[in-house]
Amino acid sequence: MNRIAAFTVRNIKEMVRDPLSYIFCIGFPLVMLIIMTVVNESIPAQSGMTIFRIDNLSAGIAVFGQTFVMLFTALTISKDRSGAFLARMYATPMTPTDFTVGYILPMLIISVIQSVITYAASFIISLITGVSLSAAGILLSVIVLIPSALMFIGFGVLFGTLFNDKAAPGLCSIIISLSSILGCIWFDADSAGGIVLKICRALPFYYSTRSARAAIVPDLSAEKLLIPLMIVVVCAALLLILSAVVFRRKMRADLA
Amino acid sequence: MTAVEAKALTKKYRDKTAVDGIDLTVNEGELFSLLGVNGAGKTTTIRMLSCLSAPTSGEAFVCGHSVTSDIAGVKSVIGISPQDTAVLMNLTVRENLDFITRVFGFSSSKREQRIAEMLRLFRLDEVESSRAKTLSGGWMRKLSIAMALISEPKVLFLDEPTLGLDVIARRELWRVIEALKGKITIILTTHYMEEAEQLSDRIAIMINGRIEAIGTLGEIEKTAGKTGLENAFVEIAERSMA
Repeated sequence: MNRIAAFTVRNIKEMVRDPLSYIFCIGFPLVMLIIMTVVNESIPAQSGMTIFRIDNLSAGIAVFGQTFVMLFTALTISKDRSGAFLARMYATPMTPTDFTVGYILPMLIISVIQSVITYAASFIISLITGVSLSAAGILLSVIVLIPSALMFIGFGVLFGTLFNDKAAPGLCSIIISLSSILGCIWFDADSAGGIVLKICRALPFYYSTRSARAAIVPDLSAEKLLIPLMIVVVCAALLLILSAVVFRRKMRADLA
Repeated sequence: MTAVEAKALTKKYRDKTAVDGIDLTVNEGELFSLLGVNGAGKTTTIRMLSCLSAPTSGEAFVCGHSVTSDIAGVKSVIGISPQDTAVLMNLTVRENLDFITRVFGFSSSKREQRIAEMLRLFRLDEVESSRAKTLSGGWMRKLSIAMALISEPKVLFLDEPTLGLDVIARRELWRVIEALKGKITIILTTHYMEEAEQLSDRIAIMINGRIEAIGTLGEIEKTAGKTGLENAFVEIAERSMA
């Protein structure tokens, strides 16, 4: 437990002291929140397009922010692997479990803080734009976003373990693009229907956004909240198990 | 008392034999140098002795713990300062040291005591609040060794500790290493003749994965029939490649 706590604190310090983490994990999502709110104000009400209205936008931006935590997870691990730091740590009593939990836990904490900041900014925007956001909905959405955060962190651990610090960010940017487009952060796939909706429904990102949006209403129905949430929980669990297994195997291979 | 013992220790990578059946014994409190050119097998040897790489064949013991069957035992008695300075760049000097003490599960009072000792021993006090990434190469290398030493290891592995340092920083680091002599067993790899000559109780000359000569400076000079470590090294290297 001491080892996990020490490694968690180290990872949090490394991230909060990196200016890029503020730009990508907080600054960029907040800028997008403001830009899209301005865009929304320019959309005629009769168009019926509500995707950028703050009650829909905030959950999408919260999911969008999580993709950057994935990027930082991958970068942290791949950088540790490319230098001699992990070699030093392999010669200590640190176990593969200590490493994986020590990477996942701080990123989860940072992701929750990121969601809180995104929703706090969204709440201020909702007061300005006159769209109501309930505190209970926001709180529920922050909780509902935890499995989604774990899913993205799982991707980050996987990419950081398997690829070096040059390849891992590239792969993460594919997931960032896929999740923001096919996760329906920037468009309404349910209205689009057809093949686009089928593709979106085949990937877990759609369910992250859908469950977070349902939570903020709050709409507790199985169709809008519980089933999407369960899908995200299952995907997160599978990815975390896979990433832990891959890290363990990679560590064994390093020590062979 | 024997601190480290290797018996026919071998490491093969597909078609290349990096370490070829070496035998060596290092006594407790001794400073033992593995001297050789790049690619001689020095780093692979200490990677095997510190359980960072499994031997292909052979066996080694560190303070009685087998590197093949008692890895946890070996890890509990060793410290390693890798060739590339393995420090946490965004953490301060004190935080780097504190991190290692926490990984080893030291109590709060023990942590403070060991950190203070390391800061004093390596004269790191003046930079204790500086982030590692702002340190010069010499300071960073001292921090790396302090991180290896803070866990109170019985055997300390230093892989090319002065590689890339200027002459002043190198001499300063030598003073620190000399201060540790006799208190702890140190296995050091280097390709600097002067460094091995200055610091070592005994030296092993590694060429192409094999130990071609082992002993004190005087014994190695006698084996080679040459005076001075550099002349002796060249003679032994030429003989082994003939």
